Amino acid sequence: FYCSRKDHLWGNVQVFYQDLPLSIQEGYERFLSPETVTLHQYQVFGHLKRLGYVVNRFDPSTVPSLYERQLNLPLSRDRQNKQLKRKRSHSPGSRYPHFKHKDPTSSTAHTHEQDEPMDSGSHVDRAPERNWWTAASSQSRSMTGLPAALPWDFRLISFPDLGSSRAARTCLAAPDPELLPGALQVGECKMASWLTKLNLKEEKLSRRERERQRERDRYKRSVNDDREVRRCTNWAEYLELMKKRRRQRCKERPAHLWEKDVTPLSQPGLCTSHRELLEEVSIIQSSHLLEEASKLPQLDQWRIIFNVYQPDSVADFKKSHPGNPYTRMCVCSFDGPVPDLRVMKQLSFQSADIPVTFAVVDHGDISFYCFKEFKLPSDFY
Amino acid sequence: MDCERPAEDHGTRQNGGAGEGGEAAGAESEGDRERSREPRVNISLVGGTPLLWRAGDIRRVREEDGVVGALVGSLARQPRQNVRLGRPLEILQEEASLLLERGRAAVQHTHNQEDEESHVKAVEAYQSRLEHSYEEQCVLALEDKKAVLQRVMNAKQNDHTCDEGTEQAMRERLSSLQKGFTLPRSAMAVQLCTARAGFGHCPEEAAFLAADWPMPRDERSETRFRVYRDLRGRGFYLTAAGKFGGDYLVYPGDPLRFHAHFIALCLSMVEQLPLCDVLAVARLGSNVKKTVLLCSPRDSGVEGEVVYSSLQWSGMV
Repeated sequence: FYCSRKDHLWGNVQVFYQDLPLSIQEGYERFLSPETVTLHQYQVFGHLKRLGYVVNRFDPSTVPSLYERQLNLPLSRDRQNKQLKRKRSHSPGSRYPHFKHKDPTSSTAHTHEQDEPMDSGSHVDRAPERNWWTAASSQSRSMTGLPAALPWDFRLISFPDLGSSRAARTCLAAPDPELLPGALQVGECKMASWLTKLNLKEEKLSRRERERQRERDRYKRSVNDDREVRRCTNWAEYLELMKKRRRQRCKERPAHLWEKDVTPLSQPGLCTSHRELLEEVSIIQSSHLLEEASKLPQLDQWRIIFNVYQPDSVADFKKSHPGNPYTRMCVCSFDGPVPDLRVMKQLSFQSADIPVTFAVVDHGDISFYCFKEFKLPSDFY
Repeated sequence: MDCERPAEDHGTRQNGGAGEGGEAAGAESEGDRERSREPRVNISLVGGTPLLWRAGDIRRVREEDGVVGALVGSLARQPRQNVRLGRPLEILQEEASLLLERGRAAVQHTHNQEDEESHVKAVEAYQSRLEHSYEEQCVLALEDKKAVLQRVMNAKQNDHTCDEGTEQAMRERLSSLQKGFTLPRSAMAVQLCTARAGFGHCPEEAAFLAADWPMPRDERSETRFRVYRDLRGRGFYLTAAGKFGGDYLVYPGDPLRFHAHFIALCLSMVEQLPLCDVLAVARLGSNVKKTVLLCSPRDSGVEGEVVYSSLQWSGMV
């Protein structure tokens, strides 16, 4: 629709509606609406197109996730390949017995829970519903009220046991195909062969090493020595335990200020650099823009509208393989509110690595703004 | 005698109703009546933004009503640049409101609720126009080709280099052209209308088809409108001033001839402005060499006057 509008304006395309050609005025009136594209958005689109940029609509599902970016995968153009892969995935019965082979102290309770809907839903042809990941998240959404953006259910992520004496008999289940890149297939992993490669001999420490270890043991405790920690079977329980302990410790007083005796935050001579000193003295920790951005719910009024690619002469743009856009555009106007930190966090998270530009429209004049993160310098070099 | 006349003036002003002075009211209403007989300017609304599409309308409102606006469309001849843009003209809400108030404009219905019959007639009319245009273009194309051939023949004759054979061939080509030339349909030039075609409505029909002004009025837009109307009444030209941190840029004449003199900020009389905002806007004004005007309509009814204060940066000596 966009391209046809611009071409219409440039005299390339004639649009007919009910056998009569549409004038540009009628095009504006019929096509521009708050549900499709508003007049402001169209003005920004026109401005950028006239300058030569390539402008496409933004689709949140095509942004690669953090995992995919870490793996540095070439991004496939359409997500339909993924959908097909799901349908061809294993039947429900074959996956879950792997959970049962694991350490009996772990997650047997909820595998039973999972197996029931699996068996009853064996005729459902949409495979994603059988996935413990997405099924659990839909459950958790209704039960614990977690925000919809959170795909992990921590009650189901158990601690794998590879070091105990029972480990030799375990085998790790095959990872979920949706978490794997491309056409990679990974079967289950039998631990016995790997464990034979480990050096299980007792360590013989020299005297100095023994002393050092004693020092360490005096002031630091291993997390696993704690009986209550050992009782936790998954991450959710562990986090609950930590939260409970923190609450007990600081009933009225904030822990970070009242835990120990009141002492100076730093002593002269203790720190060797500016940065260390500032870290000692700091009460508020500096954060970065994307911190906790994934937990924010979706926004209604603010959304990224366009992907903007540089003109063909600068970058190679192919419709089948566009690559990363130069920037992503969000359109607003001087009459509306200024984007606050929440909006910026949400939009930056949605946009992954690409910077977000705000196009502000004021009666035909368009100004572009972007927000850049800035870290206060803490040392001089 | 002296005390009677002010009372008389005061009385007529109150009876004027439209807010004009007593003696001026008579002349104004006559002019209005004349202008109301002219066809009104069409304002089209897209998502709440008023747009003007016809070149004639745009020119008229600029010359007669001092409505400047901003062009926001692509220019058909030079589409790939942003320096000069073409129609539509986007005007301020206040400008549209004032034009409607004075009866100079009417808001167009977005979708003409035509019945089947008139639609069929419109399609037929379009087809016949297309045929007519095609025939004209055929004739013109033929003339063009003949002229080219003639030129070539004349050039060859003047050269005296060609022999009888080529001349004969040329003449044969000319005659065959005359007989069997057709302009292919795909090569026909077609007009793309910018504004909506089909405007043969007389003023009564136009009034019937006009939509209501759907603008919601909150206090802020009310304040802005009253300031706009007052400044416009004094003969200033006003444009949007978002880039300058204000509400309007005030020009003593047409913006093509003058630089703006003032940045107008519209506030209500009871609104509190933090001092740092005042400082910021004063500094902005001094940087761009314009005087900052704080404008507030007095609360006395709809037709009260507007109070202006200007900010000037001065030092204590």
